Amino acid sequence: MNKLKKIFSSLSFRIISFILVLLVFFSLVVSVIGLMSFTTAFKKEYSTTSYHMAATACSLVNIDHLDNYLENGIDEEYNQTKAYLDAYCDKMNLSLVYIIKVDESDYGRFVSIFNAVNNGVDNTNYTPWELGHKRDTTNDEYKKKYETLYKGEEEYETVFRTRNLNGQNPHITILVPMKASNGKVVALMCIQRPIGELKAARKPYLVNIALSIILVAILTALITIAYLKKQFVQPMRKVANEATRFAKESSQGEKLGNISRIQEISNLAKSVDKMEEDMLSYMNNLTIATKEKEKIGAELSIASTIQENSIPNNFPAFPERSDFGIYASMTPAKVVGGDFYNFFLIDDDHLAIVIADVSGKGIPAALFMMVTNILISDRTRMGGTPGEILTFVNEGICKHNEADMFVTVWLGIVQLSTGKIVASNAGHDDPAIYHDGGSFELFKNKHGLVIGANANAKYNDYEIDLHPGDKLFLYTDGVTEATNTDKELYGMNRMVNALNECKASSPKEILDFIHSDVDKFVGEAPQFDDLTMVCFELNKKEENKLVVKAKNENLYQVMEFIDEFLEKHDCQMKAQTQIDLSIEEVFVNIANYAYGEGEGDCEIKLGFNDGVVTLQFIDSGMPFDPLAKADPDNTLSAEDRQIGGLGIFLVKKNMDEVSYQYLDNKNILTLTKKIN
Amino acid sequence: MNISHTREGEKLTICLNGRLDTVTAPELESFLMENLEGVTSLVFDLKEMDYTSSAGLRIFLKAQKLMSGRGEMVIENVQEDVMEVFEITGFTDFLTIR
Repeated sequence: MNKLKKIFSSLSFRIISFILVLLVFFSLVVSVIGLMSFTTAFKKEYSTTSYHMAATACSLVNIDHLDNYLENGIDEEYNQTKAYLDAYCDKMNLSLVYIIKVDESDYGRFVSIFNAVNNGVDNTNYTPWELGHKRDTTNDEYKKKYETLYKGEEEYETVFRTRNLNGQNPHITILVPMKASNGKVVALMCIQRPIGELKAARKPYLVNIALSIILVAILTALITIAYLKKQFVQPMRKVANEATRFAKESSQGEKLGNISRIQEISNLAKSVDKMEEDMLSYMNNLTIATKEKEKIGAELSIASTIQENSIPNNFPAFPERSDFGIYASMTPAKVVGGDFYNFFLIDDDHLAIVIADVSGKGIPAALFMMVTNILISDRTRMGGTPGEILTFVNEGICKHNEADMFVTVWLGIVQLSTGKIVASNAGHDDPAIYHDGGSFELFKNKHGLVIGANANAKYNDYEIDLHPGDKLFLYTDGVTEATNTDKELYGMNRMVNALNECKASSPKEILDFIHSDVDKFVGEAPQFDDLTMVCFELNKKEENKLVVKAKNENLYQVMEFIDEFLEKHDCQMKAQTQIDLSIEEVFVNIANYAYGEGEGDCEIKLGFNDGVVTLQFIDSGMPFDPLAKADPDNTLSAEDRQIGGLGIFLVKKNMDEVSYQYLDNKNILTLTKKIN
Repeated sequence: MNISHTREGEKLTICLNGRLDTVTAPELESFLMENLEGVTSLVFDLKEMDYTSSAGLRIFLKAQKLMSGRGEMVIENVQEDVMEVFEITGFTDFLTIR
């Protein structure tokens, strides 16, 4: 079925069948026209010869005597003439030869003068009329023709009878006027001739014409098919096959070249050749471009890692400091971003905090960011106020700023013991400040010019006072200008409101909350700008330091000090037991080993923040990292068990985090645990 | 910490009351050294003992090593916190705890 369907829908079948239908229609038209002209010519020819016959018959008759025959009856001359007419009728294959005299008053009647009958010619059954036989005119057609002839308007008249024959065969009757010597029409000569010959002649004519047309049609069809096949179908099929092959294999095939002299097909083939060539070269280019893109992607990813590592991104950033907390996050819009933050201790009492936003995004911004960050942090470590530092950095950047980029910077130096911040603002958004017990508010001041715009710009310092429990929130415009699908900005108001919803939380929780609030607001819309935030908190001071001699006998004093602190912070029983165990193990370790045979102090510092207690054990003994040792093998039998290492193992298991540092000739072991 | 004991022939039952830590462990250690002679069945009743550290574990391990080869050692009525320490350190694998 499908094969048949395929043949029916193919180009050659369609064209051939169309041509055949056209040929059949054409031959029908030709046949009909031919037949019509043949019939007309035949009739004309037939009536002309018949007229000549009738005229000849007239010459056999003595026309001047016709009236005499009617008046005087048959005589010798009449019989003679009748015999001529009979013979003529017989010889000429006429069915009837008769002479009549028509009543000229209304041509409705006539009288027969001669009447020769030859029934053998056309299988007729006429009875000859005798002289003087009277008859009414057959119909109005005859009546009219009689009149015309009598009046001399026509040389002869013809009556074709091919229909309504009452059993007779088709025949022709020719009427000729018979004029006497005086020129007067006295009678009509009529001869009736069968026209079976017409039929007989028409049949071979029809057969011939049909045969030759069929022959011509077949020949034309064959030639056309061959021509079409060679000139259209085969080249078209080649083009189609090549296109199908290319679509399937997508590889260079043999060129189609000049496959046809027909302009359109030739152009089509050339186009297919060109298309294949272009397509392959395009595919090739695409492969190269994709490889290149992958390479750039890999390099970008390394660049992104370098950028991430150029700023502090391990939190808690200062586990040994219980007097303040800081947390920061940066979400670049592209792989690398132009925003950055930074913070570092200049000395024990001074923390520098930077947040900045470079104009533009992507790699140029990232490079500019790296330069700015290094300049600021190096210059900050050399001393001076933020205003002086930014003035210096601005000069440095303007000198080499061929790309006309700029960066907004907020730089603050916090004196941790007093909470006083000296800051300078180079065109950056105002920080939000939270005073313990109050709410977050923007701390506005007059901004300096963005860095990189004018080498002569000067930057002023201003002060913010923080007290224990206060917080500082810094951000880039990626936060305030985050846009949702309705093109609405997140804005300063939403940010401050969100800050106040989580104002009592820790810096990390505040940033997480703002981030998710921005995400919720933005919804499906893409992130356009880097999203960078820093939150600093000055912790509340507590009397939470104990210094004892590192001796086992002081264990209970240490435990009491710590238990009291834990109870004040509503520590759960379970956690307290685990912490007690850990304190004993750590303290006993220090007491037994830190100072060898000698003696020394052990300092214990406690911190509490947001449900998490931090315990620090500091000694000045020999450097020893208790965490470096592998955990004991707990699967050994009692005989093979060693008791060493179990203590620290218990500490690791019972605390949430344990970390060790050796700083300023001191061993610092920090334990943290969530206690409620 | 309080240490009380009962002796029935070769069976020694020791009841511990309070904390077994770095400070109190040596006390238990010397008690064992003095009283373990002729004992083939050693029972620790820890019903009243609410705390142990690695110092206490050391004593239990030592006692286990002493008893193996000459009898059995059983620990009874272990409180939850103490049990946790036994479990973390894998002591439950070789101590007989009832």
